Amino acid sequence: MDKFILIEKLKRGDEEAFKQIVESWKDLVYNTAIGFLQNAQDAEDITQEVFLEVFESVKNFKAEAKFTTWLYRITVSKALDHLRRKKRKKRFAFVQSLFGPNNETVVEKPDFNHPGIKLDNKERAAILFKAIDRLPENQKTAFTLHKIEGLSYQEISEVMNTTVSAIESLIHRARQNLKKWLTDYYKGSGSSQVLKP
Amino acid sequence: MKLDNYLENELEKTLASLDGIQRAEANPYLFTRILAQLRKENNAREKLAGLLTQPVVALATFILIIAINTVAYFSQSNDDNQPPLQKDEQLFASEYNLSGTTIYDQTLDQQ
Repeated sequence: MDKFILIEKLKRGDEEAFKQIVESWKDLVYNTAIGFLQNAQDAEDITQEVFLEVFESVKNFKAEAKFTTWLYRITVSKALDHLRRKKRKKRFAFVQSLFGPNNETVVEKPDFNHPGIKLDNKERAAILFKAIDRLPENQKTAFTLHKIEGLSYQEISEVMNTTVSAIESLIHRARQNLKKWLTDYYKGSGSSQVLKP
Repeated sequence: MKLDNYLENELEKTLASLDGIQRAEANPYLFTRILAQLRKENNAREKLAGLLTQPVVALATFILIIAINTVAYFSQSNDDNQPPLQKDEQLFASEYNLSGTTIYDQTLDQQ
C-alpha cells in the first residue's frame, strides 16, 4: 500500500495501517537506535517508544515532509535522551559513592558487537564503537547516521535540520576525534593484542 | 617510522570496520508488544477519566473549591476590618526622617 495512504489511515487510528508501518520501518528504527545505544535491550525499548510516539503524533505530521526523515528525527532524539538519562544516573551513583559505601556494583560497559558486522571485523568494530561512544552528541549523530544507516550527507542534513557543509564538517571532526582516541588506545596498554608491529 | 606506519594502517582498518555493515533486525514480535503497550496506556487513561467523572470525586472537588473560596473570603474580610497601621504621610515622613524638630520650629520657640 502507498505510504501516503498508510499515513492517512493511521491518522484516523487504523490499526492495520499502523501494523504495516511498524513492519515496514521497524528495522530502520531499531538499527539506528542500536547504533546510538550500543545495547540490544535498550534499542528495543526505544524502538517501541518511537512507534508509540508515531501513533500518537502522526496527526501533526505534514505530508510535505519525508516520513523516514521524521522517523529518524524521533529515533535520534529518543536515543540521545536515553543516553543523557543513563549518564545522569551514572553521575548520581558516583556522587552517592563519595558520601558513603555504595552497595551497587559498578559494571564496566561490555564490548558491543553489532549483529550486522562481518565476523572478521567484529573486534575492530567493537573498539570503534567504544570510540564513537565518546564523541560529542552532534558528531555522534552525523557519524552514526552516515556509517550505520548509510545516509548521505544531504539526508543527514535534513534529519539534523542543518546544511550539508555543516554535516561535512561534523563528520570530518568526528573522524579526527576518533583517530585521536584510537591512537591513544593503540598506544596504551589495552592494545597489546592488536598492535604488533 | 615503522611503528607510525603500522599505527596509521591500524587506524584506517578500524575506521573502515563498519563498511559494509548489515542492518540489524528488530524483534519479529515488536508490533504485538507495541500494541500491548498502547492498550495498557489507553486503559490507564480510561481509568483516570472514569475516576474523575465519578459523582463522588466530582462532588468532593466541588466541596473543596467552595471551602477554599470561603476561607479566602473570610481571611480577606478580616484584613479589611483592621484599622490601617500607618497612613501614607506617616510612612513618608519616617522614611525621610522628617518627623523630628526642624530649624524653623526652633526659631519659633526662641521668639
